[in-house]
Amino acid sequence: MTALATIRDLTVTYRRDGGEVTALKGINLGIASGERLAIIGESGSGKSTLALAIAGLLPASSAVSGRIEWPGLAHAPLGGRDIGFVFQDPSASLDPVMTAGKQIAEVARTHLGLTWAQAFAKAKHLLERVRLPDPDSALRAFPHQLSGGQKQRVAIAAAIAAGPKLLIADEATSALDTIVQAEIVALIRRLVTEDGMTLLFISHDIALAAELAERIAVFRHGQLVELGTTAQIVGAPTQPYTRALLDAHIGLDAEPLLNRAGLHA
Amino acid sequence: MSLLAVSNLTKRYRRGDKTIAAVDDVSFHIDPGETLALAGPSGSGKSTIARLVLRLIEPDAGRIDFEGDDFLALRSAALRARRASLQMVFQDPLAAFNPRATVARVLDDPLRIHGIASRTERPRRIAALLERVGLTADLAPRAIHEISGGQRQRVAIARAVATKPSLIVLDEAVSALDVSVRGQILDLLLDLQRQERIAYLFISHDLGVIRAIAHRVVLLDAGRIAESGDACAVIDAPQSAIGKALVAAAPRLNRTTQDAS
Repeated sequence: MTALATIRDLTVTYRRDGGEVTALKGINLGIASGERLAIIGESGSGKSTLALAIAGLLPASSAVSGRIEWPGLAHAPLGGRDIGFVFQDPSASLDPVMTAGKQIAEVARTHLGLTWAQAFAKAKHLLERVRLPDPDSALRAFPHQLSGGQKQRVAIAAAIAAGPKLLIADEATSALDTIVQAEIVALIRRLVTEDGMTLLFISHDIALAAELAERIAVFRHGQLVELGTTAQIVGAPTQPYTRALLDAHIGLDAEPLLNRAGLHA
Repeated sequence: MSLLAVSNLTKRYRRGDKTIAAVDDVSFHIDPGETLALAGPSGSGKSTIARLVLRLIEPDAGRIDFEGDDFLALRSAALRARRASLQMVFQDPLAAFNPRATVARVLDDPLRIHGIASRTERPRRIAALLERVGLTADLAPRAIHEISGGQRQRVAIARAVATKPSLIVLDEAVSALDVSVRGQILDLLLDLQRQERIAYLFISHDLGVIRAIAHRVVLLDAGRIAESGDACAVIDAPQSAIGKALVAAAPRLNRTTQDAS
């Protein structure tokens, strides 16, 4: 597989309260074209900083050293066109006073040079692709008229409207309930496959990441702890921290803590 | 006798010209020292039930018996006094507390308001509460916004147990925590339950956590009870449509196979 992006010795520092906080330390990581790569870690791991750095969305106050090369693109990437971004909270990323249709159409118009009529036709097609139950009325709906899951579907439609090579989903399902989360994960998997996109799936949930990703990168305190195929990371982790994350997962087959504590009413 | 008995509880909201039952004829009970979990998708009514039980909102119909009394009939001074027995811990303690308050202040309030300890006695009680939840007394002068999320949730639990409650409502209390911290908080909750026979109404969307910590579970769908019973029995073999959907949607971590899809 060819590389879409190569991250070389990336260090990101934020200035905060007069001091400096290093969010990422000397990261080297390749992203293969067409792969589904999960970045997992706990709070303060640097996983969201990595997503922002790749998308070129780091705040101006951050200091960056190292390079991100894009051998898979003929030009420097443009956010929105080459990279689609889905955030955790669709209410924050969607404009509350603009219809869902217009927000999606605007992306298509800006990056694909379509007329408004063409862009709205494209938006309707995208709303069908993200499986909104009634695309025609969703086109005219404002974000507050949609449920959390429906809003995230609209945000995904806007993210892929310009046909990006890379889709970054940063905790895109973390605010949703379990059933909607599973639906959105299935949707992302289908869209990425259909369009041949590369997926960067940022999550705190190693079980969820393992269901979607082909490779997993484990981050902690701004450093890359372990990188491998999903089978390697889940089945044969080499780092104690990866093992600790796996052990902390409480699955439906876990031994109940109540039994261990000798508590039964 | 049950510690808490909820009977035919109903809460309706008006949305435009439609009336929606957020909670529709719900009945359940909790015994002393027992954990009952409420689970269900968004909008199933679980957080509304928590707020009704805490009397943060009033129901349209139904009855709540708590510690043998008609809880909905309690007014003013009697209700305030009884609140010592019924505490709560929410998902985000930073939102629940004044972020600039110190840890000591957050723990001093319930001791003072419920007249549990005199002014001179309170610093010692605060230190003991911090130690009770696995923190050290030197955390007392720190501001709430300065400490970590896990420490903050321990402070929230310390505040809840300060008044020696018989029931704590935990609304997604471990959902926002890092997984490495979550296990420690669950262990702390179990330890407190074992030592002090506290009952929990444990609201969560995470069936794995519910199966690990709860004795019984009530599954809700659109404000109604879809299914209830022993937590392991229900989650291992759900009978209702929503139970089956919730179990099917839970991410699975298969650590034995080498076959990655």
